[in-house]
Amino acid sequence: MRMWVYVIRRAVLVVPVVIGVMTVLFVLISSLPVNERTCSYFRPSGRTSPCSPTISCPTNPSQLCPNPVYQQAVNSLGLNQPIPVQWAIYMGNALTFNWGYVSQGSALGTGLGGLGLPALHGEPVVTVLGQFLPYTIELALLSLLFILIISIPLGNLSAVYRNRPIDQASRIMSFSGFAIPAFLLGTLVLAVAAFAFGGPGAKSTICGGTSTVFLDFWGSWPQPPCAPLFGTANLSPIGYPNWLASGYISSPTGFPTIDAAIHGQYWLAADTLLRIVLPALVIAYGTIAILLRFVRNSMLEVMNLDYIRTARAKGLPESKVIKKHAGRNSLNVTITVLGLTFAGFITGFPVIESVFNLWGVGRIYAYAIIGLPKDWDFAVIFGSTLLFTYMVVAANIIVDILYAYLDPRVRLG
Amino acid sequence: MTGGMEGADTVAAQTEAPPTSEFRRSLRARWAQYQRTWYFLRRNTLAMVGLIVLLLFAAAFVYGVTYPASTSDPVQYCASNGPEPVGPGNPCYLNPNTVCTYPQGTVSPSPGCYQTPSQYPNFIAPTYTLTATGAFPMGSLVYPASDLNPNAPFFYNTYTMLVKGTVNSVGISVIIVASGAILGLILGALSGYFGGWIDEIVMRVTDVFLSVPGILLVIAVIIVGKSAGFVDFNTTLALIAIAFIIVWWPFYARIVRSQALVVREQRYVEAARASGASHGRILRKHIIPNSVYPVFVQMSLDVGSIPLLLAAIVFIGFVLFPFPLIPEWGSVAAAGASLLTSIFLNCSAGAACVIPWWQILFPALAIFFFAISVNFFADGLRDALDPRLRR
Repeated sequence: MRMWVYVIRRAVLVVPVVIGVMTVLFVLISSLPVNERTCSYFRPSGRTSPCSPTISCPTNPSQLCPNPVYQQAVNSLGLNQPIPVQWAIYMGNALTFNWGYVSQGSALGTGLGGLGLPALHGEPVVTVLGQFLPYTIELALLSLLFILIISIPLGNLSAVYRNRPIDQASRIMSFSGFAIPAFLLGTLVLAVAAFAFGGPGAKSTICGGTSTVFLDFWGSWPQPPCAPLFGTANLSPIGYPNWLASGYISSPTGFPTIDAAIHGQYWLAADTLLRIVLPALVIAYGTIAILLRFVRNSMLEVMNLDYIRTARAKGLPESKVIKKHAGRNSLNVTITVLGLTFAGFITGFPVIESVFNLWGVGRIYAYAIIGLPKDWDFAVIFGSTLLFTYMVVAANIIVDILYAYLDPRVRLG
Repeated sequence: MTGGMEGADTVAAQTEAPPTSEFRRSLRARWAQYQRTWYFLRRNTLAMVGLIVLLLFAAAFVYGVTYPASTSDPVQYCASNGPEPVGPGNPCYLNPNTVCTYPQGTVSPSPGCYQTPSQYPNFIAPTYTLTATGAFPMGSLVYPASDLNPNAPFFYNTYTMLVKGTVNSVGISVIIVASGAILGLILGALSGYFGGWIDEIVMRVTDVFLSVPGILLVIAVIIVGKSAGFVDFNTTLALIAIAFIIVWWPFYARIVRSQALVVREQRYVEAARASGASHGRILRKHIIPNSVYPVFVQMSLDVGSIPLLLAAIVFIGFVLFPFPLIPEWGSVAAAGASLLTSIFLNCSAGAACVIPWWQILFPALAIFFFAISVNFFADGLRDALDPRLRR
């Protein structure tokens, strides 16, 4: 029962944080010029946006009249109200996932021409982000798996074999993880993979597009069929599993791998999974670099404690002492540090998804801030920031609960 | 370990010397502490390597500041109506007026031709030339015309970029980290020392900032600033600094607070309070000086990470600086790397593969060596400051 009390107490602590984050974003949004705010947060009838306060008069086109749609947007967003009221309206919208609409003139709204992304203008931001979120979650989960299965054993080993070659290797790995830009590591990994796995089959085209060795290095896998995404536009040559978005098979969960497996399309599931192995490793690398140091140091401290000496004195084999007695502690350290670095971890997604041509929310975010100010999409920018923040907050709750589960002193103390 | 004992003896000798003034006495004690830290730091080979590389970077910084203005202009504009360039020695030797249309994906019929931009952000393969400018022969990258670059084509010389990039990258990192640390130090010390509602407010605010992914908040602040009309080069630099400081101080505040919580319970703080010292004096003389060491470690780690973050921001397509690029390591390398996919697309379609490797490699190496030497140094500093790790 104490566990449930702890969970509830932890969940209540989230409330001020979420209110604070929204307030920070509100301060930023309300510092935007008023046109940008009305433009991207309000959708009147149809898909047009109320970008200009004035429009040309129907009776005399040389004159300008007040734009009724714009006035409507100002009223609806409360822009003519006092600041506290605006704040309350924003909080309500943010909490009810009413995050605005993709605006008409932005890069996302106009569809980025050559890249084949359809024009998304007028789509609710939540819908757009929700469509691309499952793919990012798959990537994140795989990446977390790599973090756990690499950093804990390697950190333990480098503590046990202190100052031996494996310790030096892990130290080099750790330092280089701090110093190599993620985009560069990603590009290098991609290039190596392309030459290693590419082969002649890899040069085959996806969907008649101009795919290359680089974009499609798993060329030996059967290609998914081509079909348009969102009606008319085609998402090729990008790497998003467009067989899913195109309705080639229905997607009950939205997670590409799971959906393919549900339908018995195991080669599709394997293909989708294999494509995110390398990006997940690259994302994991930065966090592993941090974790290796912490796991090693905590292991070194634990190895000198009395209970380890006791375990050895009573004749336990060394492997058991390390695995059962000392090693148990490194999981706690890993979980704690993961919670602290999760915000940094998920900011790697826009970069890595751009390198590997994956279409998750990070990529959508990258296209919301691309180019000149006229190409920016404010609703998507602030919506993504809110989404990423929710992910961090949720991850922190999960981490704290896991930590309390692993360490009874936390929940009982 | 004999050296350690000697160090301790020196400290004892210095503290026993007759005090001349309170200020000098405290200075002497502190100096002895620095000497002790330096003693342990000196024995750490990696930290010393890091320090030497950092000193080289400091020298490069000075060199970059004094680099002659006439040749240091990193961006060589080749105005479309400018004088006719003369040859490979001249960075503008490609005739910018030569706009030749040829089927996309085919090899340029003659040097100096670039494809007309048909579709934003359609990529046009860069042409390049290797020029011997400065100490090393390095390439320049020609940026073709686009919405972002109306002054096309312009040349980027890698050597001048590296030299000037040291000034900008190191300078902005140090400014950001120092300001963030000072802000965090003050707020963290207040919060840890006084506790109560000040602590509550500061900690809730840091909670909020630690929950928002840092880069996204930085980008949001920069975007709002640029929308509000701060667009030119110097204001952009200021904007970046402000955005990072807003995001960075909570980390320092947390560190300092946790230290201050320990320090305020110490006997010497109690003694100071008993002898009538004011809060301000205790904060200045006891709390802050005794909480500052972990901040140094965190600062040295963070200085190395800021060029990496700037690179990440530029790589995902955010135009951090008003185009053309300004010489900042991260943004230059990222701009080069972000061209790669398009280059491979083009050259697999039959065009010549021109990979601007120098634009990616050299700034990335600079970032790598800067970050890794900073990390070596910070790691050694932490070991030197933490008695438990001196085994």
